Amino acid sequence: MTDATTPTVAPERAAPVTLARNPSQRALGLHRELTRVWRNDRGLWGQITAVNHTTLGLRFMGTALIFFAIGGILSMLIRTQLATHEGAFLDTDLYNQIFTMHGSIMMFLFAIPMLEGLGIWLLPKLLGTRDMAFPRLTALGYWCYLFGGLIMLTALLFGVAPHDGWFMYTPLSDATHSPGINADVWLLGVTFVEISAVAAAVEITVTILRQRAPGMRLTEMPLFAWYMLGTSVMMLVGFPPLIAGSVLLELERAFGWPFFDPTRGGDPLLWQHLFWLFGHPEVYIIFLPAAGAMSMIIPVMCRTTILGYGAIVAAILALVFLSFGLWVHHMFTVGIPHMALAFFSAASVLVAVPTAVQVFAWIGTMWKGRPEMHLPMYHILGFFLTFVMGGLTGVMLAIVPFNWQAHDTAFVTAHLHYVLIGGFVFPMMAAATYWLPLISGKRRIKGLGEAAFWVILLGFHGTFFIMHLTGLLGMPRRIDVYPDNPEWVWLNLTSSIFSFVLTIGFAMFVLDLILQVTLGKRERRDPWRAPTLDWAMPIPSPSYNFASIPTPQHLGHTARNAVLSLARGEGALPGAPKGRRELLVTSVGDAQPHHVALLPGNTALPLGLSASIGVFVLLMLAGQYALAGLALVPVAMLIWVWARGMAPAGDLGRVLVAPDLRLPVHHRVHPSLGRTGLSAFLVANGTLFVSLMFGVAFLSVVTPASVPPVAGAQTLSSALGLGLIAIALALAAGVARTPTRGAVALTLGLNLVALLALLWLAFSQMDDPTRHARDALRAVVAGYVGLHILAAAAMAAFVLDQFRRGEIDAQTQGALSALQLWQGFTTAVALISVLVLGAQVVLS
Amino acid sequence: MRWLAHLIAGPTLWALVFSLVYGAHGWACAAQISPEGLGAAGRMMLVSLWVLGLIAFIPLLRIAPTGPHLRHKLPRAATWIGLGATVFTLFPVVAITSC
Repeated sequence: MTDATTPTVAPERAAPVTLARNPSQRALGLHRELTRVWRNDRGLWGQITAVNHTTLGLRFMGTALIFFAIGGILSMLIRTQLATHEGAFLDTDLYNQIFTMHGSIMMFLFAIPMLEGLGIWLLPKLLGTRDMAFPRLTALGYWCYLFGGLIMLTALLFGVAPHDGWFMYTPLSDATHSPGINADVWLLGVTFVEISAVAAAVEITVTILRQRAPGMRLTEMPLFAWYMLGTSVMMLVGFPPLIAGSVLLELERAFGWPFFDPTRGGDPLLWQHLFWLFGHPEVYIIFLPAAGAMSMIIPVMCRTTILGYGAIVAAILALVFLSFGLWVHHMFTVGIPHMALAFFSAASVLVAVPTAVQVFAWIGTMWKGRPEMHLPMYHILGFFLTFVMGGLTGVMLAIVPFNWQAHDTAFVTAHLHYVLIGGFVFPMMAAATYWLPLISGKRRIKGLGEAAFWVILLGFHGTFFIMHLTGLLGMPRRIDVYPDNPEWVWLNLTSSIFSFVLTIGFAMFVLDLILQVTLGKRERRDPWRAPTLDWAMPIPSPSYNFASIPTPQHLGHTARNAVLSLARGEGALPGAPKGRRELLVTSVGDAQPHHVALLPGNTALPLGLSASIGVFVLLMLAGQYALAGLALVPVAMLIWVWARGMAPAGDLGRVLVAPDLRLPVHHRVHPSLGRTGLSAFLVANGTLFVSLMFGVAFLSVVTPASVPPVAGAQTLSSALGLGLIAIALALAAGVARTPTRGAVALTLGLNLVALLALLWLAFSQMDDPTRHARDALRAVVAGYVGLHILAAAAMAAFVLDQFRRGEIDAQTQGALSALQLWQGFTTAVALISVLVLGAQVVLS
Repeated sequence: MRWLAHLIAGPTLWALVFSLVYGAHGWACAAQISPEGLGAAGRMMLVSLWVLGLIAFIPLLRIAPTGPHLRHKLPRAATWIGLGATVFTLFPVVAITSC
């Protein structure tokens, strides 16, 4: 194995950041000091209270692997049922539950958490920092994921799992056609799991933008970080439509609010729009991190640098945006206008261009380098073969006439497995074999991994290639028997046989990982001679990653050359002399050192909060809606305790980062990581609001003939109420900008006035939400605005409490900055809601 | 942050124009403003929106950073990506009239 000659960073770094080198220290002493501060607590309690990104990233990936195995077992049951044309292995209802759970598990409990786990585990190492921006949020995300997943699995064990397909199309999933709790398990369970996705997206975004090593400009960061930045932004914008849809459908099922019921002004297509506004970007959310891993691995395996760094970044940007313009291609057969078909067909074809740019860049990288056939490279080549075929059938499906023929057939099943297994599973296997030495510190045992690859490749193509033909012969998806179509028997039997080969291959792959971790010999540091910072640390990676933070001088080196200097504390912010978890925060564009963030230590609070949310979900599932409302009280209390944990305490003096640089701690700077995180969250929150507005607009256009209002929003008293809310919130947004106790008290009062006015409107002026979809949407929008006003009032009360405790002064803002941001957002959505609903009344 | 704003400006404008044209088209078809589909008025409305969207790219291209480095090239390329996507994905407004 030879050395890679140059780092992966782009060459034109202007390097305005200069940091003097810290004096060299004894590496072992630094290691002990940092380990004492950053390690998890011991024993089971330590597992419960861990917030460290390495622990939680691995836990995410390990749990996702278990769910992958469960989803795989379900797929075996499906293939067993379909092996013969009158399979009696499963009855229809159980079969429906199994294929629904197979899809749901693979999408929501395997793929998304796996990419989150990889990002959480790898990004801080790659960017040269010690942890993610919000460690408690990482832990909260994990517990929500685990509890949500367990709720869904438990439902399967009790025979009440979702059974409407992982799209949950209405009206099949409404209360009439799907009585019982099966659909509720999906809606509530998946939404619970999505807390994890949004949490991960927020902290990944903030970590990439604010925690890169000093001097690592955005245009110079490793490509994996670009891919993850694109992914996290897509998650912030992509998941809220599904959350909105799930909330609407659950409200319809639980309370009879008819968003999707055409007899009362709703439309089932609204669900399809909201679902696929999430569902199609979801494919790219899954693909991009995998592509990021490949962009890291291919240059190292080929002993060269990546070809076309800039072109790949541009392609990522194009994919991030274009992927949101494709969702209707999943709805080509529902009867939408021809011109809309043409728009989305064109966008679906166009998205192949940035995908191809990446594929050609990877091929070019291999061409200019000297590929070495280590195990990760096998899986990379498996990716090329499989994903390109999946991409080509994707272009076929983008063409409307073909789509009409192949829609909802086994052809689509084959296509999506080529894209997802080709575009995600093969790269993830490459990533696992590439980074496992950094996780385990062990060297792999040669032979089994290579054999596993060939068995998986054979099993996969044997299963799914032939499925294209099955689909072209007309076999629909999701049927459990096909007694009248003997021509499909041999195709299905062949797929079933090879699917078992595929499973054997995956079992061999997992066995190879287990053998490496348990029996492998100790691996040397940086075994691949990679140029990136993830390898510039001891293996297995310590809990704190870097004894000192890499500086611009270290970024110009290979990992092997930087590692000793960093371990001796010659980088920035060496050790943990004050016994605190400190990390360096930098500016967004140029990565200039900005301040030092003090991270929280180990805590069981994330577990407690997610368990409280879990109680709420379970009570909703049980139909105990009043009790569920009460269950939100402990959730709110724990959020308050959580926020108290962020209060300034102890020494807030400047921290020595380098001999010539002392920086303030995060309590005394603006913008802090918390402010950036809240901004990212508001992007997701704003998208949720836009999704609701889309619902208002869609139903206004599609079902314009509404029943006349009874109480009526046209009355003078309603107008006065709306005006009072608008004025109170506008004043609150202005007053909140003044950093005094009196101004915050006034902000609290104004929010309470707005809240009371909204409650009066809701209970005396608005029509019954069960009467018509328009009334139901108005109630939902009012509820959304009301919750935001309530949160703004609670934040104002929290800031008042901080004033009382003396935690806010001329230098320290406390939660005031967050209140200002939230108040501004709340006022904006309230005013837009008043305008849109007012316009709806006037125009109808 | 300004650099990031430059970077996403072009694709964001595409998303905006795409949403506007799709929304206007949906409204025109649902409102049945013409018995033969969109009709001349509907088509004129969509073409106008498309052309206005294309024109909006001109100032974006003018303020795009210039220079030899990647940090200059990327926002420029992103603007062209937005423009290309706007041309390609919305060209059906000049070719199709039916709902």
